[in-house]
Amino acid sequence: MRKINAVFFAILALIFVLPVAATMVFSFRVDGGFSLQGYADLLFDCFVFYPMFWNSVLYAAAITIVQLAVIVPCAFGFSQAKFRGKGALFVFYIILMMMPLQVTILPNYIGLRDMGLIDTPWGIILPMIFSPFGVVVMHQYMKNIVNSVIEATRIETNSIFRVIFTGVIPQIRICIFAVVLFVFADCWNMVEQPMLFLKNDGLKTLPVFITNAQGYTGEVLFPAAVIFLIPVLILYLFFNENLEKGLTLGDLS
Amino acid sequence: MKKHLKWNTKCKLCFLPSLIGTAVFFVVPYMRVLYYSLIDNQFRRNFVWFDNYIKTLTNKYFLLSLKNSLLLIAIAVPILMVLALVISLALSYGIKWVRKTRFAFVLPMVIPTASIVLIWRSVFADSSTALPIYLLFIWKNIGICIVLLTAAFTSIEGSVFEAARLDGANSLILHTKITIPMVAPTVFFTALLSIVNSFKIFKESYLFYGTNYPPDHSYTLQYYMNNNFLKLDYQSLATSAVLTSILVFGIVMSGIFIQRRFDR
Repeated sequence: MRKINAVFFAILALIFVLPVAATMVFSFRVDGGFSLQGYADLLFDCFVFYPMFWNSVLYAAAITIVQLAVIVPCAFGFSQAKFRGKGALFVFYIILMMMPLQVTILPNYIGLRDMGLIDTPWGIILPMIFSPFGVVVMHQYMKNIVNSVIEATRIETNSIFRVIFTGVIPQIRICIFAVVLFVFADCWNMVEQPMLFLKNDGLKTLPVFITNAQGYTGEVLFPAAVIFLIPVLILYLFFNENLEKGLTLGDLS
Repeated sequence: MKKHLKWNTKCKLCFLPSLIGTAVFFVVPYMRVLYYSLIDNQFRRNFVWFDNYIKTLTNKYFLLSLKNSLLLIAIAVPILMVLALVISLALSYGIKWVRKTRFAFVLPMVIPTASIVLIWRSVFADSSTALPIYLLFIWKNIGICIVLLTAAFTSIEGSVFEAARLDGANSLILHTKITIPMVAPTVFFTALLSIVNSFKIFKESYLFYGTNYPPDHSYTLQYYMNNNFLKLDYQSLATSAVLTSILVFGIVMSGIFIQRRFDR
């Protein structure tokens, strides 16, 4: 029985990694044989690839880092501040977190348009910084942190930044790792925003490249897909162990 | 007392960046969206009450996209949930060898859709149903479900099981009396999240078909909105955004309500 179980889940796991593995295998196949020609075409002949890759990195990294600076204090405020309507405000964040892009993209667009940020990198970066997911996750996680550590740091210092840095962040490290992985992967996967907010090709990201890649010469499609998934794969290898402990979202009541 | 008050004010100030950003990029423009959905067009700005809503709710493509979204919820979400539950149970209580497979099931969660859609295109080149999109949805969403569910399963303390076992409970009783009630809120939340995520399927479908006009069975709400974006038809866009937000709001609020009643 145990053996059957193990075999069953091994096969199931293989099915789940198969798409990724097959993409990697196909990237080395040109005209039916093993070849690095696809990578050569992409890296030496296809010059639009580099700026788009760089844009993807820039947007995702900027969003992830600045977002942390916004959500950590916000979640800290949720766990420490006392005021009426805090529960309702949290429910608002949960609802906003659940809203699909169909709902948020038009308000985002209008906000950006009125500030003249359409067709600039800010149009991609700014709205994503205020995505509510991290606030909800971190607030849930902070319910279990040790308050006496915060109290102790408060005796030493009056600065709220130092309390957050020395009393809170060490306690929520695991949650931060999980959120970084999740947010980065989410930004890395953006398709709609670059498509609708950007007109200038020089600002666009790799998913746009892959969508239009039929227009480029050579077998660049699969190599581009593989190079595109390497950065998130590396982050996943580093941080994936923290996901279960970091994302304690299950019970919101 | 004064120091305490000051501390509380400081804690409130921590909200500011997030609140300002949310207000500037969502709440305030959303009010404008609401306003746009009630006027006839950008220039004349006559108040037409619910005309746009009637127009949208009778629009063939809006209804088609709504039907496809509901089909996805009815077919793919239950399969996703059952599969995620079975895998999470095995990952939490199975032998060491089985636990190692976790890596494979959570991985799709971070893989960008644009990378993986190529394989899908070569395998399902001439599919006449929405099956490839359903599979992509399940493949991509099972990771987060498993993460949330295994977190719930493994957070049950072993000592609870030990005590029950000493009282003579067998494994069936253990699971029905301890595991299920303890993880029920998480299972419920995961199902809710999957339903809501099914509205986000556009990216997968768009990259798979590579066009703004997919076959009818895969035409979802975001296509409807994208096409109106291209036409700069603010009234249709605003109306469908408001309708979708009401739908999601209803789903989430009833979810929270049910979860709170269940807890008592």
